[in-house]
Amino acid sequence: MDYSVIMKIAAIGILTAVVSQVLKNIGKDEIATFATLAGLIIVLIMCVNMISELFDTVKLLFLM
Amino acid sequence: MKRMEIFKIVGIGLLTCVVATLIKQIRPEFYIVVILSGSVVILMMIVNELQVLFDYFLTIFGQTGLDYELFASILKILGVGYLTEFASGICVDSGNASIGDKIILAGKVLIVVLSLPIITSLLDIIIEILP
Repeated sequence: MDYSVIMKIAAIGILTAVVSQVLKNIGKDEIATFATLAGLIIVLIMCVNMISELFDTVKLLFLM
Repeated sequence: MKRMEIFKIVGIGLLTCVVATLIKQIRPEFYIVVILSGSVVILMMIVNELQVLFDYFLTIFGQTGLDYELFASILKILGVGYLTEFASGICVDSGNASIGDKIILAGKVLIVVLSLPIITSLLDIIIEILP
């Protein structure tokens, strides 16, 4: 578990911002929305995996 | 070597703060995920030390001759407390303080329910002492 995951999330955030900005400029507003949504879902899946790992550890540690 | 951990944790915390502030301006919906990941990373780093600490407490507890169930319920209460604090902090950070309050209330109720065996054993001891 190290800090690279935070940088990964930041990179995905900046990337989706750029992509949606470009798509908006060429007039594809609805595709820009979907690109943002896809980025958010990818990041959320990464986060949910980490949270489930944390919950497993807490269950093991606190004898729940 | 264990003392160097704190530099790592402080670094990760500050890095998370910077990244979260940066990302809040361009993509506000990613802000909460960054905060959540930073919290999980920091918590996972101290888990090993916590394990050592609990083993030590268990050794001390074994010498007192008390029921092991009491120690287990104290640990469970600690776990509920840590998780509640974690989740409610995230909720308050994302601007949903009311949800955070509900999580804290639920944590309090669960802690009282978990501490019922301890209260029962205390009452048993008091009844035994009474003439």
